Amino acid sequence: MGLLIASLLQLAALTAQAPPPPETPRPLSFQATLDAIRITVRPGQVATRQFRLTLDRDQQATQFKARVEDWWRSVDGKQSFYAEAGTLRRSCGQWVSINPVESSVKPGETLTIRITVTMPVEVQAGGFWCALTVDEVPDPLEAAGEGVGVRFVASVSTGIFVYVEPVQREAAILAIRLDGDEARIQVRNDGNAPLAIEGRIEFFAPEMTTPLATTELGRRTVLTEPSREGMLTAKLPSARVLPSGRYRVRAVLDFGADHYVGAERELELVREEVQERAAVP
Amino acid sequence: MKVGAPTRYLAGLLALTMSSTAGAQTTVTLPDTSQTTTMSANVSEQARVTVPATVTFSVTNIGVSTAATAASVTADQIVTSSAAKQLRISLQANAASFTPPVAGSVTWSAADVSWNAATWTNATGTAATLSNSSYNTVATCQADATSCSTTGLVFTLGAKPTVQRSGAHTLVVTWKFEGI
Repeated sequence: MGLLIASLLQLAALTAQAPPPPETPRPLSFQATLDAIRITVRPGQVATRQFRLTLDRDQQATQFKARVEDWWRSVDGKQSFYAEAGTLRRSCGQWVSINPVESSVKPGETLTIRITVTMPVEVQAGGFWCALTVDEVPDPLEAAGEGVGVRFVASVSTGIFVYVEPVQREAAILAIRLDGDEARIQVRNDGNAPLAIEGRIEFFAPEMTTPLATTELGRRTVLTEPSREGMLTAKLPSARVLPSGRYRVRAVLDFGADHYVGAERELELVREEVQERAAVP
Repeated sequence: MKVGAPTRYLAGLLALTMSSTAGAQTTVTLPDTSQTTTMSANVSEQARVTVPATVTFSVTNIGVSTAATAASVTADQIVTSSAAKQLRISLQANAASFTPPVAGSVTWSAADVSWNAATWTNATGTAATLSNSSYNTVATCQADATSCSTTGLVFTLGAKPTVQRSGAHTLVVTWKFEGI
């Protein structure tokens, strides 16, 4: 019994002296406005907007730095590229100023950034774009972890779109493809401004006038440079709703003009129906 | 082929219906708008995001790839201006390679880090490799979803048999949330 008590006391002493376990950095958590800023302006006009970011209450004070830069996406939409303002011909970066540029945000506090767009007196018609990027600044005093690791910081970007009349909105559908469980619509921007394109795909069985199935396409912004092309994708309805077969596939796209653009193509759809059946009890 | 906006046709149809029933008169009570206060709230597009601060690779054999413990990413309180608009989550390395514990020693490049097409709630996960020149998609939240999340995002560090120094090899990587 005495030995047990001695062991327990020894263990208690060891526990009291043990260094605290290394602290795992807390996940970063915040709320931010994600509105793309879209303004139609006349040459010489000034417009202002706001961006807000609120740090969660359980966070440590965090430094944020804002900047205006150019951005574009790969044709398939899977990659985004950011570069110094002025990299693109249609950059609006040179007309946009922000305040503040850098700020420390306390837990529960909101960072408000004022965005001012000052248009020059002489400017080409059409659309211009850039992005407001707000980056978390890594804490230089935070100790590097042991071993091999990745340290994350967070960044929010919202698009700034400036339109100078006359704005021409024109779009063309280049291709309709079915690939696995995905439908892909390749589009081209034939106008002079970025287009926010969304829409739907309808699947018609032969001889049918009403669609057997419809699927919505997520919105995609298609720019005028460095590429005028973009891809809209949608997950196909399940194989039970849309089994393998030959269909007339119709794409109907809303690109912000007073009319839609559409295209239709007959396509063979091959589904993995065996797996689909196996999933059904 | 160009298809006219259906809303135009809908407006025309409503006008026709109303004119055809104008003969049947009914008394209706109209609200007194002179004593009401109109309250409006302007709601911005927004989201609350929670991302991990670190991911650690316990490399016990530099000759094989090492997977990290699954990470959690959450975007909730998502408000968008259109049902078709989607929140996109992506990653880019801030440097071309890790910072080794000893300057000049061999270490991993950013492209040695990859992630899986994790199972997400209300999002489609995309497997990809880290780059320091572009933000590569991790997930796209479903259109009209109010939240999307995963607890199964697994980062993998590739084999690098030429690494000679133990210690802290670190890389800063940026999570990007785009409202574009």
